[in-house]
Amino acid sequence: MISSQSHRLASGGLIDRSAPLNFRFDGKTFAGFQGDTLASALIANGVKLVGRSFKYHRPRGILTSGSEEPNALVELRTGARREPNTKATTAELYDGLEAASQNRWPSLRHDLMAVNQLFSPIFVAGFYYKTFMWPAKFWEAIYEPAIRRAAGLGRTAGVADPDHYDKAWAHCDVLIAGSGPAGLAAALAAGRSGARVILCEEDFALGGRLLSDGGTIDGMPAAEWVSRTLAELASLPDVRIMNRTTLFGVYDGGTYGAIERVNDHLPSPPEHQVRQRLWRIVAKRSIVAAGAIERPIVFAGNDTPGVIMASAMRTYVARYAATPARRIALFINNEDGWRTVETALGAGLQIAAVIDARPDVSATHRALAAKAGFAVLNGSVVGVEGGKDGVRKISISLTGGARAEVEADGLAVSGGWNPAVGLTSYHRGRPKWQDDISAFVPDSAPAGMVAAGAANGAFGLGACLRQGFAAGAAAAHSASHSGNAGAPPIADDEAFSLTPLWHVAGKGKAFVDYQHDVTAADIELAQREGFESVEHLKRYTTLGMATDQGKTSNVAGLAIMAAVSGKSIPETGTTIYRPPYVPVAIGAFAGHHRDENFHATRLTPSHHWAAEQRAVFVDTGLWKRAQWYPRAGEKDWLESVTREVKAVRGGVGFCDVSTLGKIDAHGPDAGAFLDRVYINTFSSLAVGKARYGLMLREDGMVYDDGTTSRLAEDHYFLTTTTAKAGPVMQHLEFCRQVLFPHLDVQLTSVSDQWAQFSIAGPKTRDLLREIVDPAEDLSNEGFPFMGAREVSLRGGIKARLFRISFSGEMAFEISVPARYGDALVRNLMLAGKPFGVTPYGTEALGVMRIEKGHVAGPELNGTTTAADLGLGKMMSTKKDFIGRVMAGREALVAPDRQVVVGIKPTDRARRLRSGAHIIPKGETPGPDNDQGYVTSVCFSPTLDQWIGLALVERGRERIGEIVHAHDPLRGESYDVELCNPVFYDPDGGRQRG
Amino acid sequence: MAEFSWLPRSPLEHVLVVGFYGARDVAPGVSLTEIGNFDLIQVMARRGKGAELANAAKARFGMAAPDVPKAVSASDVTLIWSGPDQFLVLSKGGKHAMDILSQAFSQSASLSDQSHARALISVSGTKACAMLAKLSSLDLHPASFPIGAAAATSIDHTSVNLWRGNDRPDGRAVFNLLVFATFAESLWRTMLDAAAEYGVDIGHSEELG
Repeated sequence: MISSQSHRLASGGLIDRSAPLNFRFDGKTFAGFQGDTLASALIANGVKLVGRSFKYHRPRGILTSGSEEPNALVELRTGARREPNTKATTAELYDGLEAASQNRWPSLRHDLMAVNQLFSPIFVAGFYYKTFMWPAKFWEAIYEPAIRRAAGLGRTAGVADPDHYDKAWAHCDVLIAGSGPAGLAAALAAGRSGARVILCEEDFALGGRLLSDGGTIDGMPAAEWVSRTLAELASLPDVRIMNRTTLFGVYDGGTYGAIERVNDHLPSPPEHQVRQRLWRIVAKRSIVAAGAIERPIVFAGNDTPGVIMASAMRTYVARYAATPARRIALFINNEDGWRTVETALGAGLQIAAVIDARPDVSATHRALAAKAGFAVLNGSVVGVEGGKDGVRKISISLTGGARAEVEADGLAVSGGWNPAVGLTSYHRGRPKWQDDISAFVPDSAPAGMVAAGAANGAFGLGACLRQGFAAGAAAAHSASHSGNAGAPPIADDEAFSLTPLWHVAGKGKAFVDYQHDVTAADIELAQREGFESVEHLKRYTTLGMATDQGKTSNVAGLAIMAAVSGKSIPETGTTIYRPPYVPVAIGAFAGHHRDENFHATRLTPSHHWAAEQRAVFVDTGLWKRAQWYPRAGEKDWLESVTREVKAVRGGVGFCDVSTLGKIDAHGPDAGAFLDRVYINTFSSLAVGKARYGLMLREDGMVYDDGTTSRLAEDHYFLTTTTAKAGPVMQHLEFCRQVLFPHLDVQLTSVSDQWAQFSIAGPKTRDLLREIVDPAEDLSNEGFPFMGAREVSLRGGIKARLFRISFSGEMAFEISVPARYGDALVRNLMLAGKPFGVTPYGTEALGVMRIEKGHVAGPELNGTTTAADLGLGKMMSTKKDFIGRVMAGREALVAPDRQVVVGIKPTDRARRLRSGAHIIPKGETPGPDNDQGYVTSVCFSPTLDQWIGLALVERGRERIGEIVHAHDPLRGESYDVELCNPVFYDPDGGRQRG
Repeated sequence: MAEFSWLPRSPLEHVLVVGFYGARDVAPGVSLTEIGNFDLIQVMARRGKGAELANAAKARFGMAAPDVPKAVSASDVTLIWSGPDQFLVLSKGGKHAMDILSQAFSQSASLSDQSHARALISVSGTKACAMLAKLSSLDLHPASFPIGAAAATSIDHTSVNLWRGNDRPDGRAVFNLLVFATFAESLWRTMLDAAAEYGVDIGHSEELG
């Protein structure tokens, strides 16, 4: 049974009565209309109680009608789309919407946690620090979990978000925040001038306060002016209006952040569409026309459901035709509050009384009161009688000391208006105090930004239009667009007079920050305890630290602090403003980059062939590399890897090594250049030859290694490790452009140009002879070890062959232009079939390099020198090179350095693990006798046992010594023998054969 | 003796499916077209030979190579700026392939063949700019990025060369992207993701745009 909309006016409002919608709140079904927010629809159904407060679980109602709302937070949607802490005031109603109140148990009406109120004396400011100090170990185990259960907000979905988000860039001359009168006038002026304009409006409807307060512009009703203006803006090709979009931050260089709620107003996004989109907007100029936020007055009982901001009362009545109350009292200190009287009377509602804190109320207002039959009381509200079901009676302290009571079912409050200074203050600009409106206005905004209209402290409609229009024209002009902006829109200015009133002393809790349950007493306590600076006040009381960032509470809080500390408000100052202006979902920042798209991936030329072979892939950096190729019947990776190694050592196998960085170095000085970046000499390398090279960092530590071949007199082809491909290219470009600009050398990355495979094993030549043109001489004489040259392949294409070996076997690397890589791998399988050719992955590659004692990433780890790696003799003494001088530092040539050595467990059956520490046998493990650590391990199929490489103090002098491997991480301890790191074919006969 | 076939395979071959993708209730807003086999040569002036290279380029191509971020086209070749005193030569059919250009620029430049190092993707359609705005931080408004504008920039943290080609006969702007081959499949998925909501018309062409 759907409740009737008991609090909906019979006519009026900007809702579409022809589009009824059903929704559920806390399991109960209600009806609303297209054009409602969840808040307006709840109000239309007479719902007063919508949530429980954070700390005391006090019943709360709807306070505002916008994104500043501190109370009406709900869990929106269900299941994986459940979204906690959603403001009912900005959630657009859709058919089937489901929302639930949060932070209550077992139900909103009967919340047992409200018992917290009884203990409120211990929940005062700083209670965390005072109450739970002892014993310290109880904090994580008991106090924090208990507090988190008791105090809190909504529940996250707990499962992955099924929706998609994305990010986009936009560019414009003039960016405008807000579509109220100032924003629209600014867009009109800038757009007519020819500027590229983007206007962001967080509401789904355009017009700002005009939607609620109406008025007359250019002699026509505001609504008509808005629709005419929007039509004109739509006709301008470079003006873009983005509704449902909040400008939330300003960053360096005129970049702004905005969040567009593309499909939040639907149950779920249509197929292929995103839920939200994060915009980075680059603008030459920006105009903040974000309006102002009406501020509450702090008095006892001011959080009773039914106490509502006066402007929100007008919005619900005028825009949504929904009545928060039928007999309304007003508590105001300014002229603007009286507009609520007109709106309410116009809608046929009753005014119970106007409590105006100002001593003099105009004759016009008094006449209106007399005519409508309500009292005008000069004084302040000191108490509210009511509760879960709303306001019943209001107690007033009249000027002069008398008391009065007024019966009403709603209390609308206005303490004045605070310009929305957030965006203008995000670059550490401090807003300045303006006495006539008793509010902070923007000052020292980021470069290129101005505020206009209410955001700038100009509250009259005429002034908003004038300021907005002038700002729009000026911004367009300074962005070099000087078209005719035409005439500005014209309207009258309403009077605005205000007598500051922040806090009414009285009995009972008077709330400053509704969302964090910070009361006036908390602020006074903070001052007494010395937390007087606004930044201390904020952290001690948590004032303004909730998801609403204190939009309704900050200024009142510091006004109370000013009063109790005997300072003026500007002396007390504001806290630092930081983005985002509204909460932004992490999903929107992640955008497309989640799950398998977390980062870009790189695929080798043989990837899809390898996938067909059911290879297991491993992520190495951005690459997907084949790790091993399991075969039917193999029980684990070790069995597959062992088979692959044996196949290579006994026959022939191949591995895609296209991931190595590849660099063309061209030019007459290429050799001289390489001499400076490598420790060994390349200028002497003969054309047609390859050489292993090692490069150092400036500090003398090893940077990278690889083979470099000389393909022509002025052309070298470098390879780098997979991991360092990018950094080495950057390093070399830096050397070329900055260190050695006089050398005539040109560098190009050709990593993606070549598909490269290592073919290894005693039958390598047999396989190659199948695929290489028979005219090519592959004999040991015709193509000796470390030879490098172009050859023709059968079927016509050219390839490069390099006779280099990482495995220790007779081996070649072959490379072809990358688009032939897939054909090459298939042809290698075809050509190698008679020889049992076996593709192998990175694991077998690693096993064979460890067996051969070749160093790789785990040894080239940024802490090792060439000598540590056993490569000290490569350091040329006949030339200078990067890192040479620093490599000679005392500590880097000390005799007790940890150097690469082989290790074997004394128990042949034991498995080794890298990371274990090496300590002398018989010593107690500890930092004092830690002599190194195990860097790489593998099961060696060739030796039929686990072997490893380690960095060990004076390791090379200690070959044969038994030491202790201590692995506290895995709780293992065992003896190992230090040995020659070259376990396999130490004289290198196989690779030269 | 086995028979070997050497069919080149595009880095997009596995992932590119000609036809429509994404939203179907609208006319496709984005056309994504892979341009097949092409020759792409990186030309870099030798030290102090910038002017010599410029002359040689003019003699070879009948037009000046761009010395600012622009792309210039003749009937059979496009020259794309890639840095000071360097540019890319994009062509089809071997007329400006490595061996031929090596002769033309032997005195003035170092050449590196990039024909297999990249995939070439052409983006067009009513929503091309909206889709590219999700991938690129550049302002592609015609006032900022007119026909012939070029940039060495990044998409998804990956280097690309982007330039605006001649408009299609229907007046729609065409943006060309040279992406690194090993990243191509991943970037293609990202582009499809960005374009899906507008509806995508996926094609393959052997002609340079």
